[in-house]
Amino acid sequence: MPVDHKRINGPEETVPYSLFTKLNTKSLQQQFKEQVRDEKRSDNRLLLEHRKIFIKTGLVSQAKGSAYIEQGKTKVIVSVFDPREIPNRTDYSLKGEIYCEFKFATFSCTKRRLHQQDTEEKQYSALMKQALDSTVCRHEFPNFQVDIYAFVLHNDGSALSAAITAAGVALAHAGVPMYDLIVSATLGIQQNIKLLDPSVTEQWLCEMPVPLDGKVGNQGVIVMSMLQSHEQISQFYQVGNLSLEDITDSIKILENACKELIPLIQKHLVKHVLKTMKNKSEDK
Amino acid sequence: MEKPQLSCKLGILSRPDGSAMFCEGETTVIAGIYGPVEVKMQKVINDKASVECSYRPKSGLPGIEDRLYESLIRNICETSLMASLYPRSAILITLQEMHDSGQLISCAINAACLACLQSGIDMKFMFGAVTCFLTKEEVISLMPPISKSDVKALFVFVFDNAAGRIIASHTEGSFSEEQYKEALNLGREESKNVFIFFKKTLVGINSC
Amino acid sequence: MNLMCILYSVVPTYQPAQKSQNKVRLSQVKVFDNNFKRRNMAEEYKSLHPIKYYRDCLAHDIRPDGRAFDKFRPVLLNIGSIDTTDGSAIAKVGKTTIVCGIKAELCKPKADTPNQGFVVPNLELPPLCSPKFRPGPPSDQAQVLTQLIADIIENSKCVDPKDLCIYPDKLAWCLFIDFVCLNYDGSLIDACIIALVGALHTLTLPSVDYDPSLDNKLVNLEDRKPIPIHSTLISTTFVIFDDKIILADPTVDEENYCTGIVTIVLKGDELCCVHKPGGSPITEDDLFDCIDKSKLRSPLIQNLIKTALKQK
Repeated sequence: MPVDHKRINGPEETVPYSLFTKLNTKSLQQQFKEQVRDEKRSDNRLLLEHRKIFIKTGLVSQAKGSAYIEQGKTKVIVSVFDPREIPNRTDYSLKGEIYCEFKFATFSCTKRRLHQQDTEEKQYSALMKQALDSTVCRHEFPNFQVDIYAFVLHNDGSALSAAITAAGVALAHAGVPMYDLIVSATLGIQQNIKLLDPSVTEQWLCEMPVPLDGKVGNQGVIVMSMLQSHEQISQFYQVGNLSLEDITDSIKILENACKELIPLIQKHLVKHVLKTMKNKSEDK
Repeated sequence: MEKPQLSCKLGILSRPDGSAMFCEGETTVIAGIYGPVEVKMQKVINDKASVECSYRPKSGLPGIEDRLYESLIRNICETSLMASLYPRSAILITLQEMHDSGQLISCAINAACLACLQSGIDMKFMFGAVTCFLTKEEVISLMPPISKSDVKALFVFVFDNAAGRIIASHTEGSFSEEQYKEALNLGREESKNVFIFFKKTLVGINSC
Repeated sequence: MNLMCILYSVVPTYQPAQKSQNKVRLSQVKVFDNNFKRRNMAEEYKSLHPIKYYRDCLAHDIRPDGRAFDKFRPVLLNIGSIDTTDGSAIAKVGKTTIVCGIKAELCKPKADTPNQGFVVPNLELPPLCSPKFRPGPPSDQAQVLTQLIADIIENSKCVDPKDLCIYPDKLAWCLFIDFVCLNYDGSLIDACIIALVGALHTLTLPSVDYDPSLDNKLVNLEDRKPIPIHSTLISTTFVIFDDKIILADPTVDEENYCTGIVTIVLKGDELCCVHKPGGSPITEDDLFDCIDKSKLRSPLIQNLIKTALKQK
């Protein structure tokens, strides 16, 4: 581990204790079978059932807008700040910029993460930017940049889609002009079984090629973000090997999942607006 | 009561506007001060000078522990210097640890004060720092115990010379309120000697 | 337990009682508050002349948020809500929110202290919590606060590194204690210390069978034990405004416009840190007044921590 002069460093070499537990000798296939039994998942969900979502805005009082999302055990907090001038830029840019930073807390996963952004987090930041770039009316703030920070407190799978959904709510809370509300969902596929909103173990198993009857079947994880009323896909990200039919099927499933999320978010935002109006009229 | 011998040499560096080497017992720190000088764009303050401090340990790169000392010394100097006389400029203080036998922080603060005095930058008041030690036998003394493991607690107090008020307090270890009070009083008495020493040193340079 | 209950509803809360003498003053402020026009003007005044606004407010013996000078904000504590950690807690002091997560890893002890483990605290002030911070390496403030917390942990000996040793010179625990600020509204150290105590009390470590001859380790995840916690720490922050007014439990604005800051950490009846990093000089009487006030607050916070632990 490189020595960081701006933090307190521990001993040079540390190992997570989970490496020394009784060896898990089960094959990946067995592990997957344990997760999915008779169309039911380990947490008693149906295959295409989304976990319960809890959303709240206005958590970070110092930020312009913020949202906190709980999706099962996954907990993500997103804050959005006032537009500021794009740093280190001399030429005029007609469209505003979106800066996204996605970060896992060091303690959010089973293995401890480092304080610096690693490649996975950078990748997720880029995906978030991609999803939000086409959602925000960037021509409304030329030469300015809006900062969006997502922070995962607890990762139990589907953290990226939770972050994108929360970012949409936080942007709305901040009053940043948007074309539409953005929602995102994750789908895991393994051995021709599709799992909506996978937990961290399910997501991990779906990312692994597990042979079925001697050949490697369709497996992968898809994250998709949608602008609901326009019925447009603003971001699509896939890992693993999937056949064309599987992908078209998956898009349908994810589209429906996103549709189900929308009323919840709309309800929440309307509640927020009513509350603000009530406070305003009380002031008068 | 036995107390560490103070000694000091002013103007030991030729480039800075003010410099001092200060010894408290065996602990030695060199301080240099530049100011008022041009300030970086990000750090401009419109109605006063920005005070910056950098602390270098004896060996290796400055770490996070040194950052705490830096902020402590920076804050002390900022209060005592008449920063509002030098708007849109910077005052830079550099400290180099030479040897540490226990009173490092107070020695660095005193060295910074003497360097400020020598540089001729206007000050509201002088500041003097004193380190007190609480040994395992619950005795409060000004001399560091021979072995570091005998120290139960360490107190660093910084006083102003005008009214004898407390500018800064830094503690290590745990102690009772009475012990803190006792150390504070001991520190205040000793700080008077520190100020007498400062004055003597300054009279010395003016007479030559 | 679910996180949302700390972030939004009222679980173990300690709400400072208002003294009757302040009631008159508070009602005066309400009149001020109810008048929309005047409030709008007050907001403009606040953003144009923040320091003058504070001075005017304080001249009427009240703080802009309606508190008296020596009143603390409500404190909330929630423990053990993040199960990827070995111990976790979330503390809220007013709006300031700190999450503390402890993760334990195995390592080899240092050669000069063969029977000691490690405690590695770090405070993160991500750009998420306030527009003051930018992405990148930790700011100076984060570094100073990290070191201060590390000093407090070491000075108080609330965790003895000797308790973290599994086999001398071969195997020890390293506790990574990470603090993350989610909302920055002043009195960070106070919130960090409350979160730290909460997280330490929920911390459990699995037992390890170590065979020194073969260097074999076997971790039993089922057999988890808490570690001994030697003391409960309570921190209280004060700021000095205009060299004379002392305000307890400052908000971020009060911290920005103040001329000095004092942090006092109590360990039971003992003091374990009186930290005043420069700023306005204060008299001895004022300093001991602050110590007395923090002593009065300490049992209330201790009760809060006890209640939070019982609810688990």
